[in-house]
Amino acid sequence: MFPGQNSLRIVSKFFALFTLALPLLFTGCAWTGRTSTLDPKGPIAQIQFDLFMITVYVCVFLFVVVGGAFLYVVWKYRERPGQPETPIPQNSHGNPLIEIGLIASSVFMLVIIAVPTVQAIWITHDMPDRPDSHLGAYYGGEFLSPGEEEEVLTIRAEGYQWWWAFEYPQLGLTTGNEFVIPAGKVVRLELRSKDVIHSFWLPKIAGKVDLIPGRNNWMWIQAGNSYNEWLLDQGLPPMQEGHRAEYENYLEAEVYDMYYGQCAEFCGDSHAYMLFRTKVVSPEEFEAWVAEQKQPAPAPDGGGDWGAWFARALGDPSSLAGDPIQEGAYLYHTKGTCIQCHKVEGSPSSNGVLGPDLTKVGSRTSLAAGWMDHMSADGGINAGKQYENLVDWIYASQDIKPGNLMYYGDNALQHIINPEDPDANPLTREEVAKIATWLQTLQ
Amino acid sequence: MSTATTDTLPHSPDHGLVAEKSALGLTRPDHSKSFWVDWLTTVDHKKIGIMYGAAALFFFVVGGIEALIIRAQLAVPENDLISAQLYNQLFTMHGTTMIFLAVMPLSAAFFNYLVPLQIGARDVAFPRLNSFSLWTFMAGAIVLNASWFFQVMQYMGSEAFNLKSGTVTLTDIVPAVGWFGYAPLSSELYSGIGGDFWIISLQILGVASIAASLNFIVTIINMRAPGMKMMRMPVFTWMTLVTAFLIILAFPAITIALAELMFDRNFGTNFFRVSQGGQPILWQHLFWVFGHPEVYILILPAMGIVSEILPTFSRKPLFGYPIVIFSGAVIGFLGFAVWSHHMFTTGLGKIATAAFSLLTMAIAVPTGVKIFNWIGTLWGGRIKLTAPMIFALGFVWMFMMGGFSGIMHSSAPADAQQQDSYFVVAHFHYVLIGGSVLALIGGIYFWLPKVYGKMWTGALSNWVAGTIVVGLNITFFPMHFLGLLGMPRRTHTYLAVNEWGAMNMVCTIGAFILAMGILLFLIDIYLCVTKGKPAGNDPWDGRTLEWAISSPPKHYNFAAVPKIPARDCWFAHKYGSAKQKIGWQKEDHGIHMPSQSWWPLFASCGFLILGIAFPIKHAGVPYMGWLAILGLTILVFGIIMWSLEGPGGYHLHPEEEDGEDSKPAPTGSGAPVSEEVHR
Repeated sequence: MFPGQNSLRIVSKFFALFTLALPLLFTGCAWTGRTSTLDPKGPIAQIQFDLFMITVYVCVFLFVVVGGAFLYVVWKYRERPGQPETPIPQNSHGNPLIEIGLIASSVFMLVIIAVPTVQAIWITHDMPDRPDSHLGAYYGGEFLSPGEEEEVLTIRAEGYQWWWAFEYPQLGLTTGNEFVIPAGKVVRLELRSKDVIHSFWLPKIAGKVDLIPGRNNWMWIQAGNSYNEWLLDQGLPPMQEGHRAEYENYLEAEVYDMYYGQCAEFCGDSHAYMLFRTKVVSPEEFEAWVAEQKQPAPAPDGGGDWGAWFARALGDPSSLAGDPIQEGAYLYHTKGTCIQCHKVEGSPSSNGVLGPDLTKVGSRTSLAAGWMDHMSADGGINAGKQYENLVDWIYASQDIKPGNLMYYGDNALQHIINPEDPDANPLTREEVAKIATWLQTLQ
Repeated sequence: MSTATTDTLPHSPDHGLVAEKSALGLTRPDHSKSFWVDWLTTVDHKKIGIMYGAAALFFFVVGGIEALIIRAQLAVPENDLISAQLYNQLFTMHGTTMIFLAVMPLSAAFFNYLVPLQIGARDVAFPRLNSFSLWTFMAGAIVLNASWFFQVMQYMGSEAFNLKSGTVTLTDIVPAVGWFGYAPLSSELYSGIGGDFWIISLQILGVASIAASLNFIVTIINMRAPGMKMMRMPVFTWMTLVTAFLIILAFPAITIALAELMFDRNFGTNFFRVSQGGQPILWQHLFWVFGHPEVYILILPAMGIVSEILPTFSRKPLFGYPIVIFSGAVIGFLGFAVWSHHMFTTGLGKIATAAFSLLTMAIAVPTGVKIFNWIGTLWGGRIKLTAPMIFALGFVWMFMMGGFSGIMHSSAPADAQQQDSYFVVAHFHYVLIGGSVLALIGGIYFWLPKVYGKMWTGALSNWVAGTIVVGLNITFFPMHFLGLLGMPRRTHTYLAVNEWGAMNMVCTIGAFILAMGILLFLIDIYLCVTKGKPAGNDPWDGRTLEWAISSPPKHYNFAAVPKIPARDCWFAHKYGSAKQKIGWQKEDHGIHMPSQSWWPLFASCGFLILGIAFPIKHAGVPYMGWLAILGLTILVFGIIMWSLEGPGGYHLHPEEEDGEDSKPAPTGSGAPVSEEVHR
């Protein structure tokens, strides 16, 4: 935090409304849209926004002064029609004092920007080490290795053409395209890519950092203020207990939400379809979510024994007839060849790693890396829409996201040039529908 | 430039217009009656300039059409007008075309046409090298756009490219890697032979640019008329010099990067292959060490043009001439120290981020100085709102707007939100259209009467300026907000729920208004050329030497060598004291003119063949490797023949005099040009 940031923030919000919202209203857009950088919801995005507003003030000032001088000069010294011919104006060649004065004042204007810039660079690069953000302080579950209570939550974001894997190495779970973080806690993001360069951009929480193959980039993010930061923001003395309920109200009103992000570095054909979303929840909810995500998928017959189910299904596939869930699971593991790339925790054969982990795919609010949405108004799942999306996606994923690896692997693009390819979609729409029915149960 | 220097040339002063045979017995095609032979073999900097300009305007239209298709696709959310692949190809080609085939060659057109005239030279230092630059540029431009031809063949079902069994598994033939071609997306694993077209055409264009730049540096340093000291040179010539140095220092970086990428793609090296220990980030450093100075390569000539137009129509000398030139040089110098501000999001670390952030802010100072000095030039002047002046004033205003958004993302943490969003798109289009393009159009309005000898017909220019400026602002101003609202660049579509649709529609409407302005501009050129009245030598009451000679200039430029007594020499000559008169010095042996030549064109054809054969070879078409070798052979053979064909050259004895039919000064102190100045 740089000096005077609080008062600046209030002024910022005021001016932001005027200088930014007016044109937005004019063009009919909401400045608090779901990916707006003008509506920051975490300390990093807040610092970036505050800094942006400083540059806006400096530039508006310069605009008024320089632009005003320019307009004045053009108006004052313009040649008027019918004006008598006058002698050539006085031919001055410049004035060293004016030049030096203007250079000095430009440097001064830049220093106004430079000082908070350098401060903010340090803040955004140095992850704060706050005890209340340590995993041990809010997460009650088990850890994979000792000592992790002292660490902040780490999420490894891995970019692929064109989807995201989010791994929680300390907690032992992996999800795809949607991840969950606790509000008010520092989270360390490790950014990795194995194919081309991607960029992680969650505008309301933080600006971008790239995922570059061969480099171990990272960033820290935080959704909403911690209790202490909130106290400071309210002008209350730090470390003062007794305002927890108001703090909870603030989180409820402003922070708990779904946040939307997108890959911001051009990464090939379907770059536009590489979205992701982040759910910010309370630490308690986060713990519950982790516990739920760590459960392996139940066997398709509802029982716990995948081995027995497999033996039965493979022995007599006709025994599954009439139950689309079991038929779907059977198709998924056999004719659909889905298991080559996808993982379903629990299933003994679905261990692929080239595609998103599907263990909990039924619990996600979107499909195709955030492009196909089936979130209900209350933040839950719209099951009908989800079913539709699953069928559309599995049946015609190349039409929806050209160049993705489904069915065709490296030949995916060949399918686009030649849709009548004999290797075209191996599944009928009825078969796809059954697979979708089973995937919906993976919650 | 005394008569003694030409005595050593291997011809007598009196052989007149007889074309000369070389040592090999070849005749150089001087004085051909054929229009085609004359233009194809020309070494005249003015004809070369005109061809650069015509090609640049053509590709400007091509790039503009690509932009309009892009805008049409983005007009509404979740649009499927064009495919993702075609969109990616369009924005790649739009960027590459506008930078390398439109703005750079249009600047080169001005360099070619004006620099020798402004410094009082008969031609550039190496006329055939100049011709080679032109034709090599054309070869590179054709190679890049030939990819469209092959792509259409592919769409129409041609079996020529057996992409499935060839070495390339991807289908883009037109490059789809972005104008920045980031590895590893541009490697053979993630892009088709479009990547090869892109690499080879940029290499060829780089050869053209470097050759031309060396030519201009030598010309400006060595070919100035007597008395034309460095600090008496017109600012446009100064900016040409700075730009030329930028090109010869910046292009080697991208040449290396492109060679490495080409080797990775074709010959199995591992510069950028992560699996083999290569580093993709290396590409970004090399690319932007070129790419940032490139920005100034695009804008400095525009600043030079504006620095000519503003004094002319304020009837005042440029305010702070030395500091404007010094600022230009400082911008050029600092331009090499800020490349990593294109990479703020790549994880540079604190120190590097802070250093590049501060250096980027520093570059705002010399840029601001230029704006202050332009305003200082206007101050107290007598501002005549002619067509060129309107564009120059528009330039100052729009470039200032682009400069402000530039200041905004010099702050690295703020830039983390702006990088690769539409905010950046808004920024550089303000600088490039509001800056470079407005100034270049202003330059065309200013100098076309000189080039063609005809005056603009009417008030259409006001409509041109109005439509372009309005279209520009409607297109790009909302993009600032789109970027701030989280819309990333280079996405072929976007979700309706993001609420970006309305503003995108506004942008698209603006783009079509802008296109209308460009169309009006082309119509205005047509009207000027067909219906314009004779312009006379000095229609604007100009300040620099090119206004002293006839419009259009004779192919030998100056009948007599001017002796320059002052800065803004033509203005000083017209209105200044007796001491400030230009002295015209005729040479006894006549004017020594360079001979024309086929070989630059021939050598450049080698580049054309090489450039097309090489990518196609990668697609598995047979014999293309041999064709590429043939292309190289033609190139080398052409250069050898060029060096052996002999110096050529001939002498002219013009009757007419320079400066004599300039209109008398309207009023003021200066006496009309009198006979005593023509010695």
